[in-house]
Amino acid sequence: MRLSDASVVIRPRTTWEAMDLGVLMSQQHRRLLMTSWAIVTLPLFALLSLLLWDSPSLAVFIFWWLKPAYERLPLYILSKALFGETPTLKQALREWPRLLKPQLLASLTWRRLSLSRSFVLPVTQLEGLDGEARQQRLQVLLQRNGGAAQWLTIIGVHLETALWIGLMLLFYMLLPQQIETDWDWQSLLLAADQDWRWLEHLTNVFYALILVAWGPVYVACGFSLYLNRRTQLEAWDIELVFRRLRQRLNSSVLGVLLAACLLLPNLQPVWASDAPDAPRLLNQPLTSQAARDSIQSLLEQPPFKNKESVTRYRFADDPASPAKDAQPGEAPQWLKTLLGWLDGRHLDALANVIEVLLWGALIAALGWLVWRYREFLRAFVSRRPNLPSRSKPPAPPHVFGLDLNRETLPDDIAASAEQLWLSEPRAALGLLYRGLLSHLLHDFDLTLKAADTESQILNRIEQLQRPDLLAYSRNLTVHWQNMAYGHRLPAAHLQAELCNGWRELFSKGSGH
Amino acid sequence: MLEPTAPRRKAPLDTRHQVETPEGIDLPLRPAGLMVRAVAFAIDLGIRGLILGVLFIALAFLGKLGMGLGSLLLFAISWWYMVLFEVLRQGRSPGKQWLGLRVVHDDGTPIGWSASLLRNLLRFVDLLPFGYFLGALSCLQHPTFKRLGDIAAGTLVVYSERPLSRPQLPDAEPRRSPVPLTLSEQRAVLGFAERQAELSPARVNELAALLAQPLHISAPKAVSEINGIAHGLLGPTP
Repeated sequence: MRLSDASVVIRPRTTWEAMDLGVLMSQQHRRLLMTSWAIVTLPLFALLSLLLWDSPSLAVFIFWWLKPAYERLPLYILSKALFGETPTLKQALREWPRLLKPQLLASLTWRRLSLSRSFVLPVTQLEGLDGEARQQRLQVLLQRNGGAAQWLTIIGVHLETALWIGLMLLFYMLLPQQIETDWDWQSLLLAADQDWRWLEHLTNVFYALILVAWGPVYVACGFSLYLNRRTQLEAWDIELVFRRLRQRLNSSVLGVLLAACLLLPNLQPVWASDAPDAPRLLNQPLTSQAARDSIQSLLEQPPFKNKESVTRYRFADDPASPAKDAQPGEAPQWLKTLLGWLDGRHLDALANVIEVLLWGALIAALGWLVWRYREFLRAFVSRRPNLPSRSKPPAPPHVFGLDLNRETLPDDIAASAEQLWLSEPRAALGLLYRGLLSHLLHDFDLTLKAADTESQILNRIEQLQRPDLLAYSRNLTVHWQNMAYGHRLPAAHLQAELCNGWRELFSKGSGH
Repeated sequence: MLEPTAPRRKAPLDTRHQVETPEGIDLPLRPAGLMVRAVAFAIDLGIRGLILGVLFIALAFLGKLGMGLGSLLLFAISWWYMVLFEVLRQGRSPGKQWLGLRVVHDDGTPIGWSASLLRNLLRFVDLLPFGYFLGALSCLQHPTFKRLGDIAAGTLVVYSERPLSRPQLPDAEPRRSPVPLTLSEQRAVLGFAERQAELSPARVNELAALLAQPLHISAPKAVSEINGIAHGLLGPTP
């Protein structure tokens, strides 16, 4: 046995952790353990069932009683695997008859019902102790972990039962409906034994199957408890490290001597440059200090360091307010009055109130949920999601500073313009142009934007396909631009032309 | 034909589960297996049964109100007992606390509401078809002993760290180690001194003799010398 070859980490564990290690060990060799167990037990079980066909309970009892005999095989496999010499299936099966020999009678008779069976088995099988020596050994070993081994067996009994019943129920659930109708549990219990014998044997098979899964785990857990106890008792982990330390020191002494002999001249400069604290690389453009600084600043930035400050509300611990001491006399008094008050028929009324409150809470919660996820639900309820209708942007009341509201304009624009023409020609032209825009906006539904220029408006008018309107608008726009930007007064004859043009265009259309 | 299942040189099997934090620190967690969890669950089950039994007897006197309150109580205890204890008491229900277990997220952070609710809701899957059939099988097969609820919620049941007590070392004159020791070697030397009381004297001498030659100390005095090194490593004791 070489501890350094162990395939598990050796250190003292608590007893529960030691069992967990056993589970891990059984996991690692699951296939080998379960196959070998199945090959050993299932034929035996079949044989027992055939021989004792008329008494299925006896068959499964004998099968159960023989468990210590099967358990020797997984222990052999695990003990070999612990030091990395996992046997093949054939080797393990060939070994089994030899494993059965020592103390089989004892383990199948007076030691059968011992609760620490799994823990004791390695002493018998691996240490090969017998009689007085075995007793002494067990006395030492069982001082600590004996209780855990017993717990393991107790848990195992319950687990086996639960798994067994579970498998039966699973079988029952998987039955097709037609068969199930004939199977009343009462009739199963009362029926003549002959008819249902095969069913009893079937449930026994389930037990054998359960053991295939659980048996090796049980053995592994007992073995790991045993290992753990010996680790504690003999400080295996310390021995392991001490041996490694010795090896390191012995080899390093040799190594240092060799190195000193061979490499001494070469070592000098290496050491000199290796002084850790002396500033280095001082003559390059990038000194080591600068490099370190820039690395440091890089490390402070996001990919390496993500700082965020989170502000949350929490209850302040107010040391000023004294803790509310529960007054011992108060609670019973309060309880007493409550109980006294509760006693009587108005309890039912209270029950109803609580019922109403609970239903109300449920409805409120549902309502809240619906409200909370209303957008989400709407996607399922209405066929076309009600997209927010694209409201037409409101027509701008002002285009380059001109007020286009109809209310601000006089009723008869042409007449007003004629009146204004002599005194304020600018205002008259402005009025005409403003009136044109207002008509375009309100009567022709032209989209005008506050940012439009005069020529852009003309382009829009062109799209209306109204030549007379376009011609008049061009005319008016030219004069308006001359007036507004060029300060050139329009000729007098234009007054009549523009006003009449206006009347021609709009007097007949003013009605609509 | 089955091959030997374990390759010869693999990382040795251990019950420790390393979780690496973003800072590159390894947190060793020790996941708890089926057996200890079954016992913890049995304790919790007993406590719940006791509470329900006592309260049902008390509520039986209250007629219809009692029945209503009883069913509320049944709901609250069967669905919220574990969740509330786990979230509000750092992942420890009374049974788990008794056995030194706690529930954490896979990365070792304390368990939150969603994970706890999920893992406890899925108990009903683990229960199928009877008595935690699926849960037990999953627990036995999973490398970190998770039942289905734990897998879904991303939680882990681990042994909580117990407070350490100051070790009692056998008396010896503190001294310096003649060679520099690595961390694990220092631990082993300290462990040798701490656990001396549990070991037989013959075994103590055998272990010490391993180090007598490389540390250049005489074999008969090796035990006290190594104890002295352990004292030196431990530093002055108050």
